[in-house]
Amino acid sequence: MDISVQMYGITMKFPGVVANDNIDFEVRRSEVHALVGENGAGKTTLMNILYGLYIPTAGHIKIWGEEQRFQSAIDAIQAGIGMVHQHFMLVPSLSVADNIVLGDEPHKGVVYQRDQSVELIKKLCTKYDMNLDPTKIVAQVSLGTQQRIEIMKALYRQAEIIILDEPTAVLTPQEIDELGAMLIKLKSMGKTIIIITHKLKEVVAFSDRVTVLRRGKVVSTVNTGESSADKITNMMVGRNVQLGGNKIKKECGKEVLRVDNVRYYDGRIEKLKGVSLSVHSGEILGIAGIDNSGQKELTELIAGIHKPNKGSILLDGQKLTGNDISRIKDKGVGFIPQDRQTSGLALGMSVQENLMMGFHRKSEYRSRKFLLNKEGIAKEAKDKIKIFDIRPENPAALARTLSGGNQQKVVVAREVSNSSRLIIADQPSRGVDIGAIELIHKTLVDARNNGMAVLLVSLELDEVMLLSDRIAVIYDGQIMGILDAATATREQIGMMMAGVKMYDKGADCEKQN
Amino acid sequence: MTKELTVKNKINREPVNWAKILSPVFIVLITMIFTSFLIWTTRGNLLNAYYYMIVGAFGSLSAFISTLNKAVPISFAGFAVAVSSKTGIFNIGIEGQLVFGALGSSLAGLYVTGLPGFMHIPICIISGMLFGMLYALIPALLYVKKGTGLLVIHIMMNNIANLLITYFVVGPFAGDNRMIASTNPIQDSAKLPYLITTPNKLTIGIIISIAVACILWHYLNKTTSGYELRTCGDNSIAAKFAGIKVKRYQAGALLASGALAGLAGSIEVLGTYHRLYDNFSPGYGFDGIPIAMLASGNPFGVLVGAFLFGVLRVGSINMQSKAGVSSEIVLVIQGVLITLIAAQYIIRFAINKLVYRKKKEERA
Amino acid sequence: MSHTIIIAIIISILRLSVPVVITGLGNMFSVRAGIMNLGAEGMMITGAFCAVLGSYFTGNPWIGVICGVMGGMVIGLFHSLICVEFGGMQNISGLGLNMLAAGLTSFFCRSIYGTGFSPTVASIQKTGFLAKIPLIGNVLAQFSPIFYVLILLFLLCCFIVDKTVVGLRMNSVGFNPQMVETAGIDVWKLKHISVLVCGSLAGLAGAYLSIGQLNIFMEGMTMGKGMLAVIAVQMGRQQPQRILIIALIFGLCDALQLQLQINNVGIAPELIQTIPYIAGITALAMDSSAGIAPRMMQPYLKNKYKF
Repeated sequence: MDISVQMYGITMKFPGVVANDNIDFEVRRSEVHALVGENGAGKTTLMNILYGLYIPTAGHIKIWGEEQRFQSAIDAIQAGIGMVHQHFMLVPSLSVADNIVLGDEPHKGVVYQRDQSVELIKKLCTKYDMNLDPTKIVAQVSLGTQQRIEIMKALYRQAEIIILDEPTAVLTPQEIDELGAMLIKLKSMGKTIIIITHKLKEVVAFSDRVTVLRRGKVVSTVNTGESSADKITNMMVGRNVQLGGNKIKKECGKEVLRVDNVRYYDGRIEKLKGVSLSVHSGEILGIAGIDNSGQKELTELIAGIHKPNKGSILLDGQKLTGNDISRIKDKGVGFIPQDRQTSGLALGMSVQENLMMGFHRKSEYRSRKFLLNKEGIAKEAKDKIKIFDIRPENPAALARTLSGGNQQKVVVAREVSNSSRLIIADQPSRGVDIGAIELIHKTLVDARNNGMAVLLVSLELDEVMLLSDRIAVIYDGQIMGILDAATATREQIGMMMAGVKMYDKGADCEKQN
Repeated sequence: MTKELTVKNKINREPVNWAKILSPVFIVLITMIFTSFLIWTTRGNLLNAYYYMIVGAFGSLSAFISTLNKAVPISFAGFAVAVSSKTGIFNIGIEGQLVFGALGSSLAGLYVTGLPGFMHIPICIISGMLFGMLYALIPALLYVKKGTGLLVIHIMMNNIANLLITYFVVGPFAGDNRMIASTNPIQDSAKLPYLITTPNKLTIGIIISIAVACILWHYLNKTTSGYELRTCGDNSIAAKFAGIKVKRYQAGALLASGALAGLAGSIEVLGTYHRLYDNFSPGYGFDGIPIAMLASGNPFGVLVGAFLFGVLRVGSINMQSKAGVSSEIVLVIQGVLITLIAAQYIIRFAINKLVYRKKKEERA
Repeated sequence: MSHTIIIAIIISILRLSVPVVITGLGNMFSVRAGIMNLGAEGMMITGAFCAVLGSYFTGNPWIGVICGVMGGMVIGLFHSLICVEFGGMQNISGLGLNMLAAGLTSFFCRSIYGTGFSPTVASIQKTGFLAKIPLIGNVLAQFSPIFYVLILLFLLCCFIVDKTVVGLRMNSVGFNPQMVETAGIDVWKLKHISVLVCGSLAGLAGAYLSIGQLNIFMEGMTMGKGMLAVIAVQMGRQQPQRILIIALIFGLCDALQLQLQINNVGIAPELIQTIPYIAGITALAMDSSAGIAPRMMQPYLKNKYKF
């Protein structure tokens, strides 16, 4: 039997939403099958059903031709399915071996046989040609290693079908290549691999076949070799999408932001080890790098959330460090934080209250010294809702009821409308649907065209390369180099992301003039 | 995190969230059923018990005034919890701050001499509020500076406060009558003036209470500062990123909360008892908690809840003497309410399911 | 200081520490599994009351102990239902149950006995048969049998936490319930069990208070010991050995305040009685890293309860 997974007629309904609508999906042995779609298309839901985490409202699943009804993940695991989730499910304080065997621990009666689990893992590593130290504590290993641990979890349970959810989100280009090699090896050993992703480069590079989902339905299933990234994007969105805004050719403006040899300690860990960069008016400086290299700390330092331990930050030549967050906002700095739900929005308050958050002391929102100006607030909100196409259009709606993309639009609308010199955008398109991404790109590029300085942080290399005028790469709290976006290559950036320093040529805006 | 389903009105106005409105009602209902069951198991005649409770609270004008009197300190305790909860903090130390505030106002009432009423009373009230604030200071500092959890500390502080007041009232400030555990009566100039004196005495405390409710509501909803405070309560991290001085608001809310609790204690001393009795508070501070939570921090909702608790407190005394139901029943009611409030998520979920299913049926 | 006084002090500390240690061990399981339990005080008082009821109606203190354990377990069941099954707020549930238990025990005590304390009942304050052991027998006999149960319990807890599969799983569930679920383990069953164990142990501690140390029930007799156990677990980072030491220190404070009251040192009794509470606050104030255990104290909902 060559067909490992058959899902047909799968429908999954949640209150108010149909996540999967009559989906037929089929995967074969020794195949890498990509499941793509934009955020919210239903890919993760479908795989959660396959892994037994959800019970579908309707539909059937057959594994190796046999009908299965999964009541929980245990059943799916017994059927030979393993899943590597996007956010790693590991207990940081336990060892690698403990994490892998949890749930199926080698034991004698009630006693857990730790040594035995270490032995078992070592054997499996040899069999699958993987490099893991079973005794290390998970908190101390890299993300790439953590992913290998997750894959090993599935292999330990003798999975024949392995699902990977957004596996490349946290990897450097080199680690992505290593992952690709591993997938080929597993494929050759007869495993079935399903990757959920929205990154088309990986789809084209790794997969044999692609199934595209849009709004919970299957658009089509194609052989990767016979298709292209553009065709697939078109299937994902249903129309032609123009990302990257409309950049006008601009001359280098004056320096707006200067970060000078900044060091920052989070507790005892040094997160920024002497970072220097500058952003000029009319330019987008993109910062590429793997997650957790110090981007969050850098953006938060500039916005005034933290104070650097050493070094200084200047705005228009004047010292920015040491100022209150609200003073920094007054000086014309807008900040789109990394996690909109935790740091950017008050979900229990209305959209209009969120649209003024941080700038609520401005005159348009106040009447007399201490009171709020209800009309002013509503008017400003309605304007922004219109310009940024925020849905639903009700300014009194609770922020919680908006979709991810609309929530992000609220944050972007607020920060961009109220800033005049510098915008800091930390992963503005994360978890956001393509329509909203299109708008956000346009907003940032328009701001740049109008003379603002934009500091963009993103984990999506494509986005950085598309939007930026110059690209800086950060690794382990240091800037590895700054490149001119027009001439930078993926390989160069990839090497820097992995820790190789490169000294720029012509990458200083001022030197070019 | 959870997404609250809202059921939209057909006319596309602001969506009405049934769960938010119905769940307090539901919680009160379950509490009543449980309490009734308890009364029935111990004293059998349920209707009898409720009859005496209602008579005790509403039976005569005199009784009604008693109820209002009791509702006043409870309302201040409710305001105290409401202020801190709008800032995102759960202040369970009000009982301790309340009795300590009572100490403050009684000291001013006893030992500050030679002042006419219109000067003496405000001094006593301010003294009470200051003492309440002071008692909230140490936990507030620990929370804001060190991030120490407030709950356990406040509970300890409550216990300590009771012991301290007993000590003061039996020791250094003991009254001349050694048979009763209380201080001497306060001077006449410190006694709160009355609104009504027959058939029962009602002080101006009730006016102060309504005034405070209006001021609080106005502050929270109409001022910029109130907006900042509410933002701290919804998401303190987002508030910080927005430039709001979160720690200042949190500390301020805790201190204001202490002051309001102190005010509650002061009103009891200056208006009702005219001296500081040991154990004068049967737990007013704890009444404030379920009231403020069920009212979602709305000051006017707190007034309503305080009135209901006033009914409960006064009525339960009558219920005990006439129907033999132990007045500890109020403690039970407090506990059931708070425990059910903890389960609010599932109650709202259940209500939403019911409403949503009805809507589905309507559409089908 | 002579031998006898030192021994007397040590015995006093050991006897007074028992309730906090037992409750602390129970709370340890609950917190390890990711459920905060501020309701320990309520579980203890329920245990104390039920133990007295059991002993009163049957005349057998051991049945009283069993009733006490079950009483604590029932309160634990409520906490478990609200927090584990229904995703409720753990701190408020705990506090509410405290008040509820205090109210219920007072209510029933007054309804049955007419006042805030029960008549004396059969108790197990001493372990008579140990007196036969030469030399130290007399000292050993002064402890309640529950004390010896505690010693066994402590060793058992250390073993479970370190060496068993269940201990490993319970611990992981507190850190990352999602991971444990995807490993195919029933997260909720684990959490339920840990809270029920916590309730039972707290009930046992309460039984010790009423019929192990004394032979009556009094309203509010727990005097904050449940809270001290919560503090001990937090400060001890959920490690049984550390919890034991901290509980002993609290026991020391308790012994101190009793001695001061007995010896009539000239300080008012109420002030002396504040010593254990002040000790608790001091402990909390000293606790660095603000006791933020990296455990997931948020509710972990089953899919059927999600919006």
